[in-house]
Amino acid sequence: MQDMLRRYGPGLTLLMCLLVAFWLIMLVIVPNITLFEQSFRPYLPVTEIGGPRDTYSLGNYMKVFDGRVEKSILGFSYTIPVHVYTFLLTIFYSMVVTVLCFLMAYPLAYYMAKIVNPRSLPTLILLLFIPLWVSEVLRAFAWWIILAFKGPLNALLQAVGLIEDPIRWTNMGYTGVVIGLIYTYVLFMLFPVYNAIQSLDTNQIEAAEDLGAPWWKIHWRIVLPHAKPGIASGSVMVFMLSAGSLLVPSILGSTTSQWFTQTIDQWFKDALDWNTASAYAFLLLLLCTLIVTLAMWLFRVKLSDIAK
Amino acid sequence: MTKISSTFNRRRFLKGSAAGAGLLAAPAIISSKALASSGELNFVGWAGYPSLAEKVFPAFEAATGIKVNFKELPDQDTMFAEAKVALQAGGIDVIEPTIDRWGGWNSNGLLQPWDPAKLAMDNYLPGLADGSAGERSRANGELFYVPSNWGTEALVVNTAEAKLSDPPSLGDLFSPDNSVTLRPHSALAAMGRYLDAQGKLPRPWMDGYTDMAAMVELWDIALAEAVKAKGNVVQWWSGENEANAGFVANGATLGLCWDSTGYNLRNDGYAYIAPTEGAFAWHQGFVLMKNAKNIEQAHEFAKFVSTPEGAAGWATAFSSNPVGKGAADLMDPSVKEYYNGTFNDEALAKLWWWPEQTAEFIAKRTEYADKYKAS
Repeated sequence: MQDMLRRYGPGLTLLMCLLVAFWLIMLVIVPNITLFEQSFRPYLPVTEIGGPRDTYSLGNYMKVFDGRVEKSILGFSYTIPVHVYTFLLTIFYSMVVTVLCFLMAYPLAYYMAKIVNPRSLPTLILLLFIPLWVSEVLRAFAWWIILAFKGPLNALLQAVGLIEDPIRWTNMGYTGVVIGLIYTYVLFMLFPVYNAIQSLDTNQIEAAEDLGAPWWKIHWRIVLPHAKPGIASGSVMVFMLSAGSLLVPSILGSTTSQWFTQTIDQWFKDALDWNTASAYAFLLLLLCTLIVTLAMWLFRVKLSDIAK
Repeated sequence: MTKISSTFNRRRFLKGSAAGAGLLAAPAIISSKALASSGELNFVGWAGYPSLAEKVFPAFEAATGIKVNFKELPDQDTMFAEAKVALQAGGIDVIEPTIDRWGGWNSNGLLQPWDPAKLAMDNYLPGLADGSAGERSRANGELFYVPSNWGTEALVVNTAEAKLSDPPSLGDLFSPDNSVTLRPHSALAAMGRYLDAQGKLPRPWMDGYTDMAAMVELWDIALAEAVKAKGNVVQWWSGENEANAGFVANGATLGLCWDSTGYNLRNDGYAYIAPTEGAFAWHQGFVLMKNAKNIEQAHEFAKFVSTPEGAAGWATAFSSNPVGKGAADLMDPSVKEYYNGTFNDEALAKLWWWPEQTAEFIAKRTEYADKYKAS
């Protein structure tokens, strides 16, 4: 604070503080508190709001356990509330997206940090950034067009004779959603991992090579442990963004896929029940935070590591 | 006036619901404006139909001198949300929901009745504002809803590839021979009506719309049957573009879609066919906000849309059907021809009007749509 005052003077410092305060209070805290408060109240006609039936309860949160459906895994059948099922699948496929993003980002990050000629690095980074300049909606739609039944991918595969009948790419469970989410969020994994690997002293890798370590052991024992904070922060970002994405699952979803955010959206827009929708939104936030905390504990990553 | 941006409204609403008192001042500001210039009307309607603002409103203003402030919204749920805000903040006189939805609006305390003496009820075509539609426009004997245009949801058929039974039936949507595009809640209703027509339901499908216990019983059956036949669904649609893409890009051969989808595809080898069970029909119209400030102008407006000129303009804008007598002669010939191709007198007589769906019903219906999608 002292530092800021000295550097920018009282006027500019006050302006910056006010802007930050406005952003935090008006755009984050107030809407979230409103949503949080709404989530404990029942959905009532406007005329009954504030009336005797308008009391606080956990009813909206418990609705997630309504509506059981029958499912079976490996011949073992069970019943599960439909929204819990949707939630579990959302978490599972968000994890799949996170792992696949890591598998794609790690080799590239290593190449950029340690192998590529530093002079061509800016060009490489620019090339990676260009897709980020295109709106997320357009990128999702682009994939929708590519994967469409009568789209270019099928046309190409048929033209080169790889397949005879066109394939319904957009109607294979969560395939479309996973592809779209990876494409949208892979850079959020790449750059933290790149930053982490970049800070590794190349001498360590050379020393390991001199002592005869195979390449996989160098990665396993030296590069990966060093990059752990970067991987963790990349994973947290990709996982949270994927689980919270509404656009990609709505555009690239199939007839059998349902993302938890779509369920929230339905409560808002189809059922007009903003209260239950708020409760579901908080459930998603809360449980995702829990899962991330758990994963960080499992992999022994501290929050302070990520912030580094 | 129409340019009260929605973020402004939303924020005002949020602050208001937290603090309460601050809101009371807002309607007063707006009402003083409304009183000062009595020749205007604040109308909230559907987005994406530009000829309303280009042709119909200027014609209305030329005829009556009343200026329409038009706010366009993409769907009824947004309109409902906007109306809930406007009940406290003011600024809306007339909104255009569908006949099956205004009951929910009314039970939320948003509406006031029309005064039939200030309208011209004789202008409407038979069956649209009288008969069963007339009953459903009223609550406690008071008229809450007057029609503006109507349309249907029926089979859009790829004439070369779809395999239809004779006569075409809603059951064809669930046949493995066809690749279909559906919207989940309509599909479940179609399954219910199909089973009903086959005599496979324990009680009439309509019971579900008035009795929640019956609804659960009937929709459980429809859901189970629809899930069995889900393999042939290639895409869900929720709006015009998705429905169109379902056919053009994803190769659906059959769908349960709006008439406008069929109209847009009419030159690409698709036909629009009414199933033997009767096409789903919707009915769109005007409701009057409880706190409307321009009540006289609102009645003039509703009356104008029942005249041949107004009704034809409205129906042309939506590519749908007019509500006023004599309007058909003023319509675009291609629209007229398209409708006559689908609906002969028998098909018209069989039209199945979407019943009123209460808030509780819609919440439950959403749950069924969820289960259908997640299966």
